[in-house]
Amino acid sequence: MRLTRVFAVVAAAVLLQVAFARFAIGGRFSFDFVLVGVVFAAVESGAVAGMLAGTIGGLMQDFVAGGVVGVSGLVNTLVGYITGTFGTRFVVAKAHARALIVGAATIIHYLMLASLHAVITQTWPVIVWTAMLEAVVINALVGWVAFQLTEAVPGAMARGRSRRRPSLSRRQW
Amino acid sequence: MLPRRRTLTLLVVLCLGHVLLISSQVPSASGASALDTVALGSVSRVQSAIGGVSGGIGGFWRHYLALGGVSRENEALRGRVLELEGQLQGERARGARVDALEEALKMQRSVVAQTIAARVIAGNPVTGVMTINVDRGTADGVQPNMSVITGAGIVGRVIGNPSGHASTVQLLIDRTAAAGALVESSGAAGVVSGGFADGKLRLGLLSSAATVKEGDRVVTSGQDGIFPNGFLIGTVQAVNGTGKSREVVVAPAVNFERIDVVLIVMAKPELPKPSPTSKPPAAGGKQP
Repeated sequence: MRLTRVFAVVAAAVLLQVAFARFAIGGRFSFDFVLVGVVFAAVESGAVAGMLAGTIGGLMQDFVAGGVVGVSGLVNTLVGYITGTFGTRFVVAKAHARALIVGAATIIHYLMLASLHAVITQTWPVIVWTAMLEAVVINALVGWVAFQLTEAVPGAMARGRSRRRPSLSRRQW
Repeated sequence: MLPRRRTLTLLVVLCLGHVLLISSQVPSASGASALDTVALGSVSRVQSAIGGVSGGIGGFWRHYLALGGVSRENEALRGRVLELEGQLQGERARGARVDALEEALKMQRSVVAQTIAARVIAGNPVTGVMTINVDRGTADGVQPNMSVITGAGIVGRVIGNPSGHASTVQLLIDRTAAAGALVESSGAAGVVSGGFADGKLRLGLLSSAATVKEGDRVVTSGQDGIFPNGFLIGTVQAVNGTGKSREVVVAPAVNFERIDVVLIVMAKPELPKPSPTSKPPAAGGKQP
């Protein structure tokens, strides 16, 4: 995956997150599309793409959030590295297996973020386990859809092209 | 693919960069750092645009496509308007009487602070941090620590350094938020704080002798110098335990899941001034 594509995936994820973030106020829904974008880049193209996606996405998320800039960047970079390394070492090809990686990454991300907040603020934050589980489910679902689309769309386009060709040749006859 | 060593080097460099970036943002006494203010100012325009587009799409759907039950709702609202107009007449009459009494007693007139409406342009994308960004900033006279309300009650307060056209509002349900509170029926004072897994507030620092029962209204006391007194915070939902271990659960009056427009109270917060003894010593000086 080229850097421009990594950037495009992350930018789209941040835009989605900002557009839907108001649904997360008050704990109505819990999700992190930026994390899904980071894991997507990492699993598709390896640890380096994952790290870059994590850095870019995390920093964008921090700038938008208005908190300490670098917190999400650091955590997303580490998550991008871990998932990228895992994805290349154990070749995970199926969409549902990749969605499981997104789910696992959500738990790692949540715990790392809580730990970092604890280090910065010197108080251990309240971990809402139900919200974390909800985020795992929603993120994994969104990841599954994204991976399924990347598998299905090129194939469908190729099938469409191959269907059109014989009819054209018949017309020429 | 890069060799493993180069990948690890890149990881270390990136992590080190992040750690340095985090370390550089030591929060000052006035609030957020300059980096934070610049970041908020630059992204608020984008957030505002995204919020406008998503709001426009939602508005188009609600106003032109999903019109089921609108006429019924309209009728109900007309009835409610009539009812409220009646109440308004009564309140005006009462207000006139209060004015006359204040005039007669030569009392200082009670001033109701002005408010400005602000649109919520973004929620916090970091899970667990309960802040929102609104489209009003220093250009509109917004200052740090100004309280933010809705028609239902207290929402939170402005935190950090607002940019020209955007500010960050910390919701009362955030883990670091708190407000001075009074139980309306008994007048017992305490502190309401957020950050609980159930999304409810807790009323703490309450005298063990104070009587609190379910359904009691909890309002701001004004003693924190941020929230004006008398604004509704919520109602007591449950009282668990007794004595010093008593836990008072307060259901917030504001539905934090659906905040689109808020009101910023334009009164300057009256934070307690630091006592002269707490002043840091002058450079090179010694403490007595």
